[in-house]
Amino acid sequence: MSKLGEVASWIGLLAALALAGPAWAQDVPTNQQLIEQQQQRRVEQPGNNAPVWREVRSGRSGSTLVPGNEMGVLILSSGQTWRAARVPLAFWGGLLIAAAIAALALFYLIRGMITVKEPPGGRLIRRFSAADRYAHWLLAMTWVVLAVTGLVISFGRDLLLPVIGYTLFSWLAILSKNVHNFAGPILIVAVPWMFVKYVRDNGIGVEDLKWFVHIFGYFRGREYPSARFNAGEKLVFWLLLVVFTTILVVTGLILNFSNFGQTRSTMQTANLIHMTTAYLAMAIAAVHIYLGTIGMAGAYRAMKEGYVTEAWAEHHHKRWYDDVKAGKSRQKFAASGEGTASASGATRTQTS
Amino acid sequence: MARMKFLCDAERCIACNGCTTACKNEHEVPWGVNRRRVVTVNDGVQGAEKSISVACMHCSDAPCIAVCPVDCMYHTEQGVVLHDKDLCIGCGYCFYACPFGAPQFPQQGAFGLRGKMDKCTFCAGGPEPDGSQAEFEKYGRNRLAEGKLPLCAEMCSTKALLAGDGDVIANIFRERVTVRGKGSEVWGWVTAYGKPGQGQPATQGGTK
Repeated sequence: MSKLGEVASWIGLLAALALAGPAWAQDVPTNQQLIEQQQQRRVEQPGNNAPVWREVRSGRSGSTLVPGNEMGVLILSSGQTWRAARVPLAFWGGLLIAAAIAALALFYLIRGMITVKEPPGGRLIRRFSAADRYAHWLLAMTWVVLAVTGLVISFGRDLLLPVIGYTLFSWLAILSKNVHNFAGPILIVAVPWMFVKYVRDNGIGVEDLKWFVHIFGYFRGREYPSARFNAGEKLVFWLLLVVFTTILVVTGLILNFSNFGQTRSTMQTANLIHMTTAYLAMAIAAVHIYLGTIGMAGAYRAMKEGYVTEAWAEHHHKRWYDDVKAGKSRQKFAASGEGTASASGATRTQTS
Repeated sequence: MARMKFLCDAERCIACNGCTTACKNEHEVPWGVNRRRVVTVNDGVQGAEKSISVACMHCSDAPCIAVCPVDCMYHTEQGVVLHDKDLCIGCGYCFYACPFGAPQFPQQGAFGLRGKMDKCTFCAGGPEPDGSQAEFEKYGRNRLAEGKLPLCAEMCSTKALLAGDGDVIANIFRERVTVRGKGSEVWGWVTAYGKPGQGQPATQGGTK
């Protein structure tokens, strides 16, 4: 080819690109082009059906008498992408959860439970109303059930199956799948309820940034003063509840209710997002559950019974405590005798 | 040991759906499930219409086996991909992974809840004893154990669909191709070298 011809062909190519839009569109022939190629083949190379096979390979739908979703698609490649993507996702996701739990165990061994020195005669503050707590526990119990059953489905084949065998593991997996599918939709109620009850005190400001800057003080007993919820709790609220759990609910519903005609590609994507989000969420939830139970004295009681001690409030939520003292907060000091019965382990006389 | 394979000859398939019907009848497949289907590409377009019958292709590197969370699928000695319905949890992962849309789920209960997966067994039943009632109820007839080949291929009126030992059906297909006798066009010399008289080698230099 002459130099001039080469230049001309380059100009032609550029013009074609400019006219035809993005370059990637050039790689995939349209249906019409493939049909024309096939008709041409029939004359020139009968028996060589490459254009038809290219069409089959493209995943476009042909026609079929068998009713059902995507029945006209002969070959769908995205399943391979899904299959390949799951392996590293599950590996790193599983590792992340394991690392989070291991780090918390190590932290517990070194630091132990974070406690507050309780002076005698301290009063109690009602930190969470009954509705606050019910909203939290509906969400929390559903969430933990979903996390455990999800882990069984995700990692059971590698971790449980070799130990407990096919029959028992299958029984556990069937149970997990059904519980997962029926518990999931509870979150449609639990997430908005939780949001409505807690959004008020979860506004984000500059103080929250400062709290994070002073995060090491948190573990050394010198906490940066926070309002009713500190920045860590706000992060759990916004990231774990509002972002992650909402994503999990939406993708979960797409996977759960497969009778709305969603395609396999949609469900593959939803599954990958569901997995990724679940692993990240579980790692964060592990920290939240740790601090709410064995990690910090008084935290579990606050959510179980609703009360915290004055010293606890002053230590962990100084600005909130000041507000309560000044009567500016919606949370009040408990009346004399309120909440103490349950604290001492006796029969509860007071319900909030 | 034979390696069982399916082959559908697109030059012969007339989309009569005999294979679909034969399969459904032989195995008493549940309502809403079709283990085999015929897809017509470019339906009604003259010179470009081809039909292909498709079911589980019994892959060697089967994606369904790889992704099943309870590891309920396996290869038989003949390379047939089978599954154990007692272990299957109906999660749908095999259905996401399969390129051919082979795994099917009968809807059991409300909201499209997936039942146990059902798919083509290459007429080889399941893990239960060969020819047992339990095997028939879950997977359909075990024709391979009776020394017969899959009914879809046996019934095919134009013998477009071939099933059996891969070497044998490959030989049948090769014979067909040679008998059709179009010469080098079939394997694409025209694509590579151009039509006769076209695309002769450049006399000098050539392009870089």
